[in-house]
Amino acid sequence: MNIFELSLVLLGISIVAGVLGSLLGLGGGFVIVPFLTLVFHLDIRLAIGTSIVAVAATSSAGAARNVFASITNLRVATFLAMATTLGAVTGALLSGVFDARFLFGLFGIVLGVSGVQMLRKHAAKPEQAAKVAGECRVPAMQSSLAGGTARVTGAGLADRLALHSAYYDEAEGAEVSYVVTHTGLGLALMYLAGTVSGLLGIGSGVLKVPAMDLAMHIPMKVSTATSNLLIGLTAAASAVVYFARGDIDPLVAGPVAIGVLIGATQGSKLLVGIRADRLRVLFVTALLVVAAQMLWKGIG
Amino acid sequence: MLRVGVIASAGVLFGGYVAGVLSDRAVFASHSVEQAHLAGRAVFPHSLAAVWDGIGRGSGEAIIVAGVLLLILTPVAGLLTSLVAFARRRDLVFTAISASVLTVILASFVIGWLTS
Repeated sequence: MNIFELSLVLLGISIVAGVLGSLLGLGGGFVIVPFLTLVFHLDIRLAIGTSIVAVAATSSAGAARNVFASITNLRVATFLAMATTLGAVTGALLSGVFDARFLFGLFGIVLGVSGVQMLRKHAAKPEQAAKVAGECRVPAMQSSLAGGTARVTGAGLADRLALHSAYYDEAEGAEVSYVVTHTGLGLALMYLAGTVSGLLGIGSGVLKVPAMDLAMHIPMKVSTATSNLLIGLTAAASAVVYFARGDIDPLVAGPVAIGVLIGATQGSKLLVGIRADRLRVLFVTALLVVAAQMLWKGIG
Repeated sequence: MLRVGVIASAGVLFGGYVAGVLSDRAVFASHSVEQAHLAGRAVFPHSLAAVWDGIGRGSGEAIIVAGVLLLILTPVAGLLTSLVAFARRRDLVFTAISASVLTVILASFVIGWLTS
């Protein structure tokens, strides 16, 4: 195979990764990295560098769509970004300090646990939809910036920052309002997710979505859309360190980036129509795939 | 803003790739070059100076790297847009929050530059 043929294959796989990534709030790395390392035996440093680029592409292309914006909670994203970017810098600096295999193994276990937790939530109750008759679609930037009315719910910081909001769920045909809780825990988990991303170059979305879904009680669709925005910032915070180390090869990362941009643009369209519980199952499947990959790497 | 970034980086990435293929077909048609890249033995620009240099020489690879950098900057541009929007609405808390995130990201750029 030559570079040109390799590029075509990379393009194809990256489009798939982009679609899945933008739909699930992940960076697509869980598709790309194993493919690159197992099928093409790409040097792991380059695989991670390429993954960071894929994450940036998934995030930007996914979040660029207007409809996406009305689902994404911009205030929550900006708030959580404080923790996640700090984590990314910490992680990038610490990379090389910890034994990679231990990290992979630990990561795999954490993911496995999150996956099980999310499935239990799926089995317990379907997404509650608050039917509001005759309500118009919530205008995008307006509500994302303003946030919902600050209700005194005992959720503390989330009240004061007006993080609670609502979104129009096309699959339900209704507006779904929600309350954000446990902001402190959310911040801590985001910091951890960012650190993992900085350390391993991958996998922050896969921790962020469960954190928002389970800890902060943010609806599944909003969690994935908001995660999509967050991973781009996390990637930006660690990418330059990887770039300077020479881990981003243009002839590998280039086709991947183009493919992901194409795929992610399409994937975000799917998010609008998909049912939240179906999204959850799809996400958990992806998460368990990543968990298995991580455990495999941990064992060695 | 995000859309601008996506279209711009996609354009530069694609343009760089095409430029590379046109100017250096041998690189793209060679099996040994492919193997070198996969093994991590290939040489390519990984500093701003090298990228600038490369673009000056019309190197497709340097242009692709520039496209990647643009792509990495796109979420940051999006952040800047929301910072301005929060400021316009006089939301001091969220303007400050956005500014702090921006600061951390810029700090990471400095760290990256220092370690190169």
